[in-house]
Amino acid sequence: MKEIPNMDELLNSFIDGELPARQHTEVQRLVAHDEKISRRLQQLKRCKMLLNFLPVAEAPPRTLENVKASLARKTTLLDEQYSDFAEQAGARHLLGRRVLAAAAMLGLVAILTVVIYTIVAPETVPQRPIAVERREQPLKVDVVKPEPTMVAVPFSGRLELRTSYLPAVVAFINRAIEDNIPSDEWIASDQSNVKEPHALVCSRESFNLLLAELGNIWNKLDSAALFVDTEVFGEQIIVDAVTTRQIAGIVNQNDSKKRVELAKDFAVLNGIAEHLPGKEILTAIDDNTVGLITPPKPVLTSNQKTIKKSTTRTEANRNVHLTITVTGSS
Amino acid sequence: MTEVANMDTYASKRRIDIDDSVLVMRCWQGDSAAMEQLVLKYQNRIYNVVLKICSDPDDAAELTQETFVKVIENIDDFQGRSGFYTWVFRIAVNLTLNYCRRNARLGFSSLDSSPAILTEYSSQSSRVLREFLSDDSSPDPAAVAQNKELYEIAVGSLMKLDDAQRAVIVLRDIEGMNYAQIAKVLDIELGTVRSRLSRARSKLRQILEAILQ
Repeated sequence: MKEIPNMDELLNSFIDGELPARQHTEVQRLVAHDEKISRRLQQLKRCKMLLNFLPVAEAPPRTLENVKASLARKTTLLDEQYSDFAEQAGARHLLGRRVLAAAAMLGLVAILTVVIYTIVAPETVPQRPIAVERREQPLKVDVVKPEPTMVAVPFSGRLELRTSYLPAVVAFINRAIEDNIPSDEWIASDQSNVKEPHALVCSRESFNLLLAELGNIWNKLDSAALFVDTEVFGEQIIVDAVTTRQIAGIVNQNDSKKRVELAKDFAVLNGIAEHLPGKEILTAIDDNTVGLITPPKPVLTSNQKTIKKSTTRTEANRNVHLTITVTGSS
Repeated sequence: MTEVANMDTYASKRRIDIDDSVLVMRCWQGDSAAMEQLVLKYQNRIYNVVLKICSDPDDAAELTQETFVKVIENIDDFQGRSGFYTWVFRIAVNLTLNYCRRNARLGFSSLDSSPAILTEYSSQSSRVLREFLSDDSSPDPAAVAQNKELYEIAVGSLMKLDDAQRAVIVLRDIEGMNYAQIAKVLDIELGTVRSRLSRARSKLRQILEAILQ
């Protein structure tokens, strides 16, 4: 008989009843005719029987209870885990709500603060910087002192003129005084005596008009010296070679100290100029220049006589006290 | 084949003929009594199979318990594509085989831990085995079952098979499953069941003959 591959497999299937009917019949026929196959079949059957007849072991009696207990434990564990999770979630939720509530309260407080600040701040804020500034750095307030009433300090002095053209100069001066100074503001004891001084107590306006007039004959003078009285009794500032411009500057100075200072400056300046070459040129330039303070000369525009100025002047306006002396040059 | 028919009848007599699908449906409805009935119905068979595979009664009890816990926990996932019986055994065998593999990795051997398994047998045991194997007559199942020497030899020889062979031979010769059921439980092809079972029995025969010598 030909060897059949997988004979054991076939025989096992035969034993287990897992062969189709036709194969089952063939195996039966093989077993019946082949002693070797029959013996092998018997061996396999005995192996099967050995296991097949083993006693059935019964499960422990408490298997069902143990299963229930195990399920209960798992359920409890799950519940605990869920409970823990829920507790933690609840705690987190509660914490979150608290944080939100706190944030909301802070927001409300902030809004209230802004509202209160808006209401109150305009009244309080402007005062604060001022107070601070005053503490740290005193506020510099330019105190505008009331302008003092300009009370011109009366000028007191003496003008000494020396000229080679004495009669003409004296006449010119007399006429100039008569034309420009009201009669009650000057005194000439003897107009024929040129050596007698003319004492003027007049206003600055009158004096300036006179001075402008005198400027016309200033080049006829050999010398002109202005003696300015100071506040110290008996002390005078002598300005030699003085010009009409310098005289006007000194006389029109309101402050006596500045007047003295100006007179000193002119004195020094004129002293230096006396020793400089080209003195004549400087004098000419100076004389021909119309200064800013030189009052305009009156100009007749018609045949009308010059209207005499009003003589009604107050004593306060007569702030020029000047004595003019004219002497001839030898 | 009257003997074979008798053996299968013996195995099938141990089954409780209750329609599993009814119990499963009741379980789906939350009927705890149905769950208990399913446990009671299959606990011995599951325990028996697990014990024959792992050979340790305590581990077998633990694995049986774990099997039913898994069954109850996952009963809602049971879709009925295979029989409930097959599904339960699939869970049990997988748990047991995983347990065996884990023990093998850790160096534990069921052969060493179980007192019922002997690696060397007395002359009396050999004589009893010789008589059993050489007897051509139909043995009395009860007498075989009560024979202590044969029991020890059978369990010891079974444990000398590898896990896959042991599982397939236990399911067939102890649990009485057919090849199709074994294929479903072990999730293997039918031809694989056939060949694996053939190799397992051949090896078992060799082991027994080794005992005789």
